[in-house]
Amino acid sequence: MKPAVSSLYQAVELNQEIPPLLIGERCNPNGSKAFREALLADDWDACLKLALDQEARGAQLLDLCVAYAGRDELADMRQLVKLCAGSCKAPLMLDSTSPETLAAVLPLYPGRAIINSINLEDGGANLDKICTLAKKYGAAVVALTITEAGMALSCAEKVAAAKQIYALAVEKHGLRPADILFDLLTFTVGSGDESMRDAAIQTLDAIKQVKQELPGVGFTLGVSNISFGLRLAARKVLNSVFLHEAVAVGLNSAIVDAAKVLPYAAISEEDRTLCLDLLFNRCPAALMNFIEHFELAVAEDEEQDADALLEEQLRHKVLKGDKDGLEDLLSELRGRWQPLDIINSLLVPSMREVGELFGRGELLLPFVLQSAEVMKQSVVFLEPFLDKLDDDGRTSILLATVAGDVHDIGKNLVDIILSNNGYKVYNIGIKVPAETIISKARELQVDIIGLSGLLVKSALLMKESLSQFQAGGLTQPVLLGGAALTAKFVAQDCVPNYQPPVVYCADAFAGLNAIREFETGKLLSTDWQPATVTASRPGPQQPLLDRSFAPPSVPFLGRRTVTDIDAEQLFDYLNEAALFRGRWGYRRGKLAKEDYAELTAKTVLPLYQRLQKQALAEGWLQPKVTYGYFDCCSSGDLLLVNDGDRQFTFTFPRQPAAPGLCIADYLRTAGEGGDTIGFFVVSIGAELAKRTRQLYESDRYHDYLMLHGLGVELTDALAEYWHEQMRIEMGIQQQSTELLAYITQGYQGSRYGFGYPACPDLAAHQPLFELLTPEEIGVTLTESFEMVPEMTTSAIVVHHPQAKYFAV
Amino acid sequence: MRYICTCCGYIYDPKIGDTMNIIVPGVAFAELPEGWVCPLCYASPDNFDPLD
Ligand code: B12
Ligand SMILES: [Zn+2]
Repeated sequence: MKPAVSSLYQAVELNQEIPPLLIGERCNPNGSKAFREALLADDWDACLKLALDQEARGAQLLDLCVAYAGRDELADMRQLVKLCAGSCKAPLMLDSTSPETLAAVLPLYPGRAIINSINLEDGGANLDKICTLAKKYGAAVVALTITEAGMALSCAEKVAAAKQIYALAVEKHGLRPADILFDLLTFTVGSGDESMRDAAIQTLDAIKQVKQELPGVGFTLGVSNISFGLRLAARKVLNSVFLHEAVAVGLNSAIVDAAKVLPYAAISEEDRTLCLDLLFNRCPAALMNFIEHFELAVAEDEEQDADALLEEQLRHKVLKGDKDGLEDLLSELRGRWQPLDIINSLLVPSMREVGELFGRGELLLPFVLQSAEVMKQSVVFLEPFLDKLDDDGRTSILLATVAGDVHDIGKNLVDIILSNNGYKVYNIGIKVPAETIISKARELQVDIIGLSGLLVKSALLMKESLSQFQAGGLTQPVLLGGAALTAKFVAQDCVPNYQPPVVYCADAFAGLNAIREFETGKLLSTDWQPATVTASRPGPQQPLLDRSFAPPSVPFLGRRTVTDIDAEQLFDYLNEAALFRGRWGYRRGKLAKEDYAELTAKTVLPLYQRLQKQALAEGWLQPKVTYGYFDCCSSGDLLLVNDGDRQFTFTFPRQPAAPGLCIADYLRTAGEGGDTIGFFVVSIGAELAKRTRQLYESDRYHDYLMLHGLGVELTDALAEYWHEQMRIEMGIQQQSTELLAYITQGYQGSRYGFGYPACPDLAAHQPLFELLTPEEIGVTLTESFEMVPEMTTSAIVVHHPQAKYFAV
Repeated sequence: MRYICTCCGYIYDPKIGDTMNIIVPGVAFAELPEGWVCPLCYASPDNFDPLD
């Protein structure tokens, strides 16, 4: 007798003359949004309509699944089985792993159904119950090759699992081989994951082998998993070619959207070759070629595909940084996947895609952080279901900000990106001495060390630390990052100090790449070739300075402290372009002008206004200033500053080429009558930084970057504001000017921040602190001359009209 | 077309040029000499966004 299943109206043979038998997959709240909405609304007619639609589009069997968080599966199943039994010609596949539900609905079905599904995940208890039911009601069963060890990935594992199930179902429970449809599972070949490149081959080989070794059994397969992660248009083609290949080796039924299967003949020779290259792993570039080719194919609106598969929905959530309904979705996915596989096979490839989009300039940093939040929240949700996060296999990284440096955010962004791409990160904090790094690296046996730092001094410290690492016998590659580093410095000064690879990382994604290279044994030390052209040294070009310019009158000599500053007015001085595009990363990139305007109006400005309100209402800003005016005179490249009977010397570099500018030149010599100089140290306090840290600690990565960025620009706004107050006090400006003038230095004089190119020596903070004693407003210096709290900035204020920014 | 520095907000306007880098009016952003950097914050051209 030919194996068949039946509805009230007809029998359908499992082995069709022209295989495969198509099983409609849309009556599933996890796979179809339309079905989910109908189900949640108890709209049974709409549910039925979806079933009938599939029949109309060619489905010969209908999968029916109603398991959804918060719903009563048994009651819903009962309702719909009754309804479908009377109306659908296609026999039903009862998709449930609950023996109770199956026991309740099998007697209701007036035909021969298929149960979907059994497996050995729990060792066989559930399988025993369901096989007993199958035997009793004469149903067929789908069997997934999942065992206590997880999903079977390799051909050998699949075959072994199938044999185990066969032994139980056939030999123990007395089902006939033809009553079993093995789903040998398939995984995507679209993730770029090295170990999954042969996923299609493993599945196809397993079908062949099981067919041979367990004669008479049938097969089914969730074909579209093969292309998970790829673009919709591309998936349709790849799924169809894969289905064709699977049928050729013996697949007799497939769970698919019947409407989305392309006839093999309708697929061009070129498309077929690209698909076959990818499926059979015929060349290393197969995936790249495939993606490139289909990238050009018709752009279907992927978001519109409301009925996307569950796995696809998760990918979308990650790509869109959308946390709505995330836990429901993950609960559903847990019915199909092991928690660890959800992480490694679904989430991690999606994050990889996020990184690639960012790399191509198609995704902005704030959105990347939102994606990372989705990843993090998913992992937190799944963690209780994992025996323990298996750390053994994962590459581990030790992250630290070097001694004397309190800069946290660069390192933390790296932590966010790495840990949410599946790596194990030990973030051991700021101001970490080399000795601690060495002992921690040994203790934790990490694979890689990453160092971060904000200032030039930290870069120099990294160089020294590497010698210590070498002497201490460390063998891990070291990744270096931070604002003051350059590839040149790393290649010339750091690489020679340490035997293993030392790599410059411009940003967190460069770090991610380096780790991937490490994993494939390709990580090399940074190499630097001198550029053919050197960077220009912009600055005012007039070499002739007006030496006769008299010093302004100042209201006092010496230092003063100001603490009653209205925080609200700082926002008038805030550089929005730098905040939005620079700090926040809302760059226009490839967007059209109108689209960028819309992004600004709908996303960026509302965010800015929200933060502004909150910052003011909740007292996050405590602007404080210490400043002063002092008699001084220049002497060559030196500036001698007098404070009562104390004298301090500041040294400034001179441009080596014409016009040979040097800050000292803007001030008169003793012979010319001397001059007056201003200084300030301003800070917005530590409160905002505290809030920022809390956001990081509660995994709100996006808000973390946003608030940090706001703090940075408010610090600069405070400097801008105070510089203006000083100009007004000196009588070189009457009132505040328009914002653009601040950006372009459309005012008299200039403020130069120590550490910036015209006065690069940060050690000048030492005499500066003696002059101004910023300790009184809560600002201190680290041994690297970094100011704490971080949101602090200092400057020397020069009144000369020709003084503008320049680089030495 | 004008370009804006995403690091500091400086706007390069080809109608005006850039005296700090001795760029005369009429030079398009794409035609700025190699090695040109933002006259205010020294950021490289890849840090600029089109403005118009
Ligand atoms: C914003 C900013 C400020 C802000 C805030 C500082 C802060 N971050 O808290 C304010 C206005 C307060 C400020 C002040 C000062 N600043 Co400032 N500042 C910057 C700026 C523009 C960005 C720094 C930043 O926060 N970036 C954001 C974070 C997320 O980026 P990041 O730390 O670089 O990390 C990324 C990468 O570097 C990389 N990365 C970092 N670490 C690691 C580690 C690993 C393992 C990997 C893989 C990757 C990696 O990945 C991260 C994410 O992608 C830089 C210049 C620049 N373009 O970078 C100057 C810069 C750091 N500042 C500089 C200076 C001089 C100062 C001041 C001394 C000026 C002054 N006289 O007041 C003060 C000092 C402040 C203090 N507390 O001591 C100089 C430092 C040079 C030097 N001489 O040391 C810089 C380099 C500017 C320059 N080109 O001259 N500054
Ligand atoms: Zn700039």
